Amino acid sequence: MSWIREGELNLLEKISANVLKAGPMPKHVAFIMDGNRRFARRNNMERQEGHMQGFNKLAETLRWCKHLNIQEVTVYAFSIENFKRTKDEVDGLMELAKQKFERLLEERDNLKKHGVCIRVLGDLNMLPLDLQKMIAKAVVTTRAHNKCFLNVCFAYTSRYEITNAVREMAWGVEQSLIKASDVSEALLSECLYSNNSPNPDLLIRTSGEVRLSDFLLWQTSHSCLVFQSVLWPEYSFWNLCEAILQYQLNYKSIQKARDLHREHQALLQLEADRACVAEHLQHHGNGKPADAQRRQEALLHYTACREERVQDFLRALKHKRDSFFNDLCSEAVLA
Amino acid sequence: MARLYGLLWRLLLILVHVNRVFISWLRVRLRSWKDRLWERAMAALLLPVALAGFPGSDQKRLNHNPDANANPLTGNRTSSRRSRWLSDGRSLEKLPVHIGLLVTEEEPSYTDIANLVVWCMAVGISYVSVYDNHGIFRKNNSRLLEEIVRQQQDLLGIDGSKYSVEFLSNDIDKHQHHVVSCRPTVKVLSPEDGKQSIVQAAQQLCRSVENKERSSKDISVTMLDILLRESKNIPDPELVVKFGPVDSTLGFLPWHIRLTEFISLPSHRNVSYEDLLGALQRYSACQQRLGQ
Repeated sequence: MSWIREGELNLLEKISANVLKAGPMPKHVAFIMDGNRRFARRNNMERQEGHMQGFNKLAETLRWCKHLNIQEVTVYAFSIENFKRTKDEVDGLMELAKQKFERLLEERDNLKKHGVCIRVLGDLNMLPLDLQKMIAKAVVTTRAHNKCFLNVCFAYTSRYEITNAVREMAWGVEQSLIKASDVSEALLSECLYSNNSPNPDLLIRTSGEVRLSDFLLWQTSHSCLVFQSVLWPEYSFWNLCEAILQYQLNYKSIQKARDLHREHQALLQLEADRACVAEHLQHHGNGKPADAQRRQEALLHYTACREERVQDFLRALKHKRDSFFNDLCSEAVLA
Repeated sequence: MARLYGLLWRLLLILVHVNRVFISWLRVRLRSWKDRLWERAMAALLLPVALAGFPGSDQKRLNHNPDANANPLTGNRTSSRRSRWLSDGRSLEKLPVHIGLLVTEEEPSYTDIANLVVWCMAVGISYVSVYDNHGIFRKNNSRLLEEIVRQQQDLLGIDGSKYSVEFLSNDIDKHQHHVVSCRPTVKVLSPEDGKQSIVQAAQQLCRSVENKERSSKDISVTMLDILLRESKNIPDPELVVKFGPVDSTLGFLPWHIRLTEFISLPSHRNVSYEDLLGALQRYSACQQRLGQ
């Protein structure tokens, strides 16, 4: 089955889509596609068939999202915890992933036509090498597309992602690109695998489970969470509409909470900068008390320097990450 | 056409709102109706006893001196209530060790939150965290504490030794963290305990890298987890009960809610013990597969 589904919505769906679009729409939706195995069991299918149907549902959901002007979708495809499943099932899932990424590469013209950019979030080093190469190739070929974005979380957990971000910042400190005092909430966000995406507006989990299971814990702290009882392979356009409606009901209060959080964050950054400047002045001021104007100038200077440091570091980090994919990709070509 | 769709959208939203209000109204009505039914049934049962027990002059005497009888009666009631709550807790297949109470409503009601905290303790939950995204409870920490102590006396009778509250609050007294006891612990959380505490832990690790005490490669999930626990052995909350109409965690401890179950209740205002018990029963019915 293909990644991209063509086809229009039917009349009733189109009208409903237009009604929903009159309100605020989520720009980024994240899915925990839960319930494939339960679906298979319930319908007396092989487990692998359930996963297959789950993938088909994803392709269909992407089509609905396109019609609903949702440009970005993030899905939880494979958690690091899933490596604990039976070898049989893990192998099956890896095989399915290989097939699908192979298929994706075959469809590259179509992806280009629709401007689909694919990103894979997670620690690729945990995967078999041939799959790593395939993923790298898919990521590199679609990198420049910018109409819609699909983020696939593979070998991913949120705690691991956060830890990795801390590791990257520590790397920056080791390379003398940044100082430990430059570590902030904004910088940590920039070091996550998801640094190229805005935070999801809406997170949907199917199959009636009511937890996040280590998925985007950092990014969804001000997202609308919707838990639906339908199993993922049975997910319908109407389920998606229901979730969006719930997002719209929540829109104002969540927006308010986001603003509050942003203000608070800016305040914290200012305080941190002030503390650094005060320390600096104390060390280099030869004991003379600094007047208000000098302090203000020093603060501005410090802030500018910090921002420049952080930008340099982020460029270096991006380069490091890009070359990881490029290297894998060129290995794939050679092989 | 766009205007028509806009109109339809508004209409749809209003319909959903009306539906919500209607359902919550129905809940309240149903509850009060059930209570009244219960009261009437009790009255009907007790009426013959009352008639047999206090005929004529006896009843007059009772009316003259109502206070004398009131105290043992309420004392009795609190102790029976307490044992009922404890047995409710025991009857559940599993009970969270740590529960989070997440209030998304703008104006918090201290009495209701204090009630909830006391009920949680009474059913046998060891750690209760209270959170709101404005940090109101954190700011008015002492007021909440007072209210909890008062409700404790009201609901459980005075039994300070068993249910005394131990407050953990990051800013105020760090040394208290080492107090290990089997008493229930209440923790008042604010957004600073969320992402900001992760940032602080990250800063601490980066400082040690700066001082060449460790390499960036050594940093692991467990290391960060230990730092975020701040040497307290409090487990992650297994259950968060969210109150109010906003469907979001609003920054509630992002690191710690990896496996937390979220259960929503419409409001913390006038929340009843049965509402909380219902949430606990739903939690007890959930099973986790941990990636399996």
